[in-house]
Amino acid sequence: MFTGIVPPYLLARLAQSEAPELHDAAMAAQKTLRHDEPRRARLTFSLDADHRLVAELSDAPNRTISDGHGTEALPGTPVRREGDPAVKDAAVNEAYDGLGATFALYSEVYARNSIDGKGLPLDGTVHYGTGYDNAFWNGERMVFGDGDGQVFGRFTSSFTVIGHELTHGVTQYAAGLIYKDQPGALNESISDVFGSLVEQYAKKQTVTTASWLIGEGLFTKKVKGVALRSMKAPGTAYDDPQLGKDPQPADFAHYVQTADDDGGVHINSGIPNRAFYLVAHRLGGHAWERAGRIWYDTLLSGLKPTTGFAAFGAATAAAAAARYGGSSAEVAAVRAGWSGVGVAIDGDVAA
Amino acid sequence: MATSQRDAGPDDAGGGPGSRLSILVVRSGGLAGISQQWQVEPDADAEDWIAMVQACPWGSVGRDDAARDRFTWRIEARMPPRLRTASVPESELVGPWRALVERVQEVGARG
Repeated sequence: MFTGIVPPYLLARLAQSEAPELHDAAMAAQKTLRHDEPRRARLTFSLDADHRLVAELSDAPNRTISDGHGTEALPGTPVRREGDPAVKDAAVNEAYDGLGATFALYSEVYARNSIDGKGLPLDGTVHYGTGYDNAFWNGERMVFGDGDGQVFGRFTSSFTVIGHELTHGVTQYAAGLIYKDQPGALNESISDVFGSLVEQYAKKQTVTTASWLIGEGLFTKKVKGVALRSMKAPGTAYDDPQLGKDPQPADFAHYVQTADDDGGVHINSGIPNRAFYLVAHRLGGHAWERAGRIWYDTLLSGLKPTTGFAAFGAATAAAAAARYGGSSAEVAAVRAGWSGVGVAIDGDVAA
Repeated sequence: MATSQRDAGPDDAGGGPGSRLSILVVRSGGLAGISQQWQVEPDADAEDWIAMVQACPWGSVGRDDAARDRFTWRIEARMPPRLRTASVPESELVGPWRALVERVQEVGARG
């Protein structure tokens, strides 16, 4: 069996084949060739028990990485498109690979074809600005700075960051949570959850071997800290003379009221982050399988843009009940998770 | 984004430390969510600073509802008896806003 992107000449030959044993493969090849843009689907070949060739079409990403050349002009110059070989620029390759890993999680685990579920191209820009200490989603593309070199290095260096940014796109299409106060902190937390799952899925980690860190390795060695955030232990990611201490609360009793940061969306996300960790830890194994599925189902469950922590918690319990049954271990884990961070959720979880 | 202009309280009027011109810039948000701030209390070139403050469109700051993880800039200019504040999204930090912020970052004390 071999898997991979099939060169067009081979597709063309397969499509013309009239051999009966190649019928499936020929049909799949014809379907691929009919796409307006090439290489957006992946064609996988295998042999079944009777040694017949089986061809399967699956979704594939359509990535374009552009170089901002140290300016703030977007999109910059395209430097690596889908299927292009690696280039010399590490930031370009990290962005390309990170978007690929994020696409793989959504496609292979949750059967979601890209950000919008319809194969939206994945566009990223690296080398944005000069010494720019940030990565963001501008509503259309993912943008990554190089960091200042003193506190931050490249923002492409962690899959969790790339997964975080792409997930802002998914949330934009799926739920539209407003970016302020509790709904904003949930929006942030959903990006952390799936950002972490991108890394866990790529590395095939379990809930106990995963780091549960967001942005591990982004800080330079001069900073006393391991990452931007810890989902497992919010408030412990860094404690540095220049940056101060990680301000994330680990439970609802310590929710931070502030006007800055859109009402503390990057601070209070620690609360739902830890709820997810507690659910995943209680269920064990691979976090993307059950905990991640419950959170993904919740994201698609018709959340109001103004959803707060308690309503989101109730929606996760309802999603767990719908998929696994009202008296399932999954529902019990979800309830324990929210209880563990001091968020009381509605009693009725009947599907 | 939120913008307000109001007269400061009586404590800010008249002489004393409260009457000094001061400009505070707070950058919050971003993926990391780490806030930084800079402040100036200029003496000598106050007129230049006042001109830079007055060049900014305090009453009509644009919004950026689509962006996620971008910085938000809170800018406060205290020119007794007046206090002006604005919350400026990163994508709107251009022209006179950007000039003011970069000048405060350049000469101001970092908090």
